Amino acid sequence: MRRLWEVRELSTVAILVLEVLFFTWYLWPEGNRPHPFLNVPNGLLILKYSSIYGIAAVGAAVVIISGGIDLSPGAVIALAGVVCGGLFVEAGWSLQGSMAAALLVGVSSGLLSALLVVLVHLPPFIATLGVMGIARGTAFIITEGRFFDVSSLLVGGWRPLGIPADWVPPVVMIVLAVIFQILMTRFQWGRAVFSVGGNETAALFSGIAVGRLKASVYILSGLLAAVAGIVLTVVQGQGKADLATGYELDIIASAVVGGASLSGGRGSVIGAVLGTLIFGVLRNALPQIPGATFYDRLIVGLVVIVIVVMDQLLLRKGR
Amino acid sequence: MAAIPMAGLEFREVRKSFGAVQALTGVSFAVREGEAHALVGENGAGKSTLLKILAGILRPDSGELHWQDAPLSLTSPREALERGIGMVYQEMLCFPNLTVSANIFAGRELTRGGRLRDGAMRQRTRALLEDLHLRIDADAPAGSLSAAHRQLLQVARALAFDCRILVLDEPTTALTDAEADHLFEVLEKLKARGSTLLYVSHRLPEVFRLCDRITVLRDGAYAGTFVREDTSPEAIVRAMVGRDLPPRRAPQPRPAATGPILEIDHLTRHPCLHDVSLAVGKGEIVGLFGLVGSGRTELLETIFGLHRPHAGRLRLDGHAISLQSARHAARAGIALVPEERQHQGLFFNLTVRHNLVLPSRTVGRQAIIRPREERAEARRLLETWRIKAPGPEARPDSLSGGNQQKVVLAKWLATTPRVLLLDEPTKGVDVGAKFEIHEIVRREAERGTGCLVASSDLPEVLSLCDRIVVMREGRIRGELAAAEASEEAVMHLATSVEEVRDPS
Repeated sequence: MRRLWEVRELSTVAILVLEVLFFTWYLWPEGNRPHPFLNVPNGLLILKYSSIYGIAAVGAAVVIISGGIDLSPGAVIALAGVVCGGLFVEAGWSLQGSMAAALLVGVSSGLLSALLVVLVHLPPFIATLGVMGIARGTAFIITEGRFFDVSSLLVGGWRPLGIPADWVPPVVMIVLAVIFQILMTRFQWGRAVFSVGGNETAALFSGIAVGRLKASVYILSGLLAAVAGIVLTVVQGQGKADLATGYELDIIASAVVGGASLSGGRGSVIGAVLGTLIFGVLRNALPQIPGATFYDRLIVGLVVIVIVVMDQLLLRKGR
Repeated sequence: MAAIPMAGLEFREVRKSFGAVQALTGVSFAVREGEAHALVGENGAGKSTLLKILAGILRPDSGELHWQDAPLSLTSPREALERGIGMVYQEMLCFPNLTVSANIFAGRELTRGGRLRDGAMRQRTRALLEDLHLRIDADAPAGSLSAAHRQLLQVARALAFDCRILVLDEPTTALTDAEADHLFEVLEKLKARGSTLLYVSHRLPEVFRLCDRITVLRDGAYAGTFVREDTSPEAIVRAMVGRDLPPRRAPQPRPAATGPILEIDHLTRHPCLHDVSLAVGKGEIVGLFGLVGSGRTELLETIFGLHRPHAGRLRLDGHAISLQSARHAARAGIALVPEERQHQGLFFNLTVRHNLVLPSRTVGRQAIIRPREERAEARRLLETWRIKAPGPEARPDSLSGGNQQKVVLAKWLATTPRVLLLDEPTKGVDVGAKFEIHEIVRREAERGTGCLVASSDLPEVLSLCDRIVVMREGRIRGELAAAEASEEAVMHLATSVEEVRDPS
């Protein structure tokens, strides 16, 4: 956490650039046909879908740096989407009101994780595993198998703050990433997150309010997952209980690929967001390779391992 | 004259560097078979590196190890064990969840056809423990043993298999004097039986008690081997630091304390503190002496707000304060330099700069980090307290133990505390750093800070403090002015049992 922008993040950017170059070359079309991968609408598509992961990964990175783990983002994304969609479509709330309610749901689930971790002293893995079940279960109870169709109710050409609807998710992701990167590197709060993750006892002995700090981290993670849930609902045009299943592991993987250490004390928010872009590009480009359909999960798994091994080798060399 | 004993273990021109740092610059010396050989040196002198090479954890860049003139090449800790090198580490490696017997055989279990031979292992363990005169149950979990017994368990583990040389690395660091005595009895018995010992320590009284010859390392180089009978602790210290230490100052008459700054009234926290009352004056250095388990650490931690007391009050400068957390205590002007700097004092994932400014920034309720200002402050602190570090952006693991301890001290002094609590401030630091840390505490006291120093190092307490308070079993057992205190008087208060029955 020396500088706002560290060498480690540049290496994640380098991997992302190499990845884009590779797919640009590999998918180069014959003749005069348009490039299937390298075009503006496709880039926007990648950004749009990655931002759902990216927004939640901001919170996940903060939790991981603090020495914890959050398994609930996927479920909270779905629950927030269902609450937002349900209130908007069935209860006739305003869009703003529905979004606010969804954010509140995110904060509540984060608060529940925080209480379980800080006051009940459950290991974060167990606490957030429980909250994951509760959030997903609540989403199913609310929907009873239905889904809320938001798209038909969204006014055509909806432009919040003058930003085209398609651009909203990436903009939200970038703004949040920048805000949290600054919070983590330039604010006492961020330094406290790194301290607690690096050595919780020493943090306590240094006068840091460790309990309060950990609580803040889980609440923020819940809030950011809810933001991601709202974005997903708007992007997909529907709120559904089984959306974002399994996202939590992809989000954790993104944070790790972006330089976070699961033992805490190390990592970066920007790195985690770049990590989600690496996976976003893979998810977008692999299906376009003939015959690769069945290989994409395998390749994603290999990429995680290769990047983390490279990271460790570099780290060891740096010593 | 008896024949010169055979060369046992020999280091020949051993070199090792880490990056640009030369840890060992061609070290050669020999440990004779059947002797107790000491290896001493300041922190950073290269003792640990040499031991790691002997244990097969590190490989030397060049140079050789020989055993009875045959080259000994060690590629793994396991191989070192199989070659008869038994290591007893400072940090007391043990599996607290496993039984004593399982600990002794961990990694080298006796098996038949893949099945554990529990009975045989237990039997061997019992024989071994009896041999060492240890009254320990072979089936007790190792976690239930006292620190001394866990240390002796390691000795037993090293001896469980054919052990040609027993290597002990600072084995008494975590032990009380009485516990260390027990360890020494065992070691002396082994020595009398003809075992070869390599004893690494910077506690010279121990070295002189046990060892026949003393090898000194300084800055990664061999600085000489001395025969106990022909040398003195002063000569060894001179060889260790490469210069004469300034003579220890007699406790100087220091200005008398002007009124109390910290007052503790009837502080009780079950089960470790009972009705503790104590006052520290402005500019006074009060020693808190007690053996492990006497409640001294608990007292300091309770004053610092890390535990809630069941009864009692604290006053700072005459005002009652309620200490709900370390945060409150730090904001009120109390600082604690904890006992275990690695575990409680330092963040190894952060830079020295972040480590140095963290408490002052936490206390100061500052939300935004100002890197330039912090770097300047860190540089100033490094200079003021003469901390040897590559720079403010280095990580604390690149510092020696003494300098790490000075970082922990400096980070709290940066909060300009009115009460400074120190728990074993010179534990595991070398002679030079110890001297400097004492100077720092004296300087703070001259500024008017009330200092409360818990220590189990008697000479330290006697030379540093104005007044000595002795604790035993969670109670204050007596108080002595440093001028009239002797080691015997303090020790008597700390260990005596008659007084417990005294109804007053």
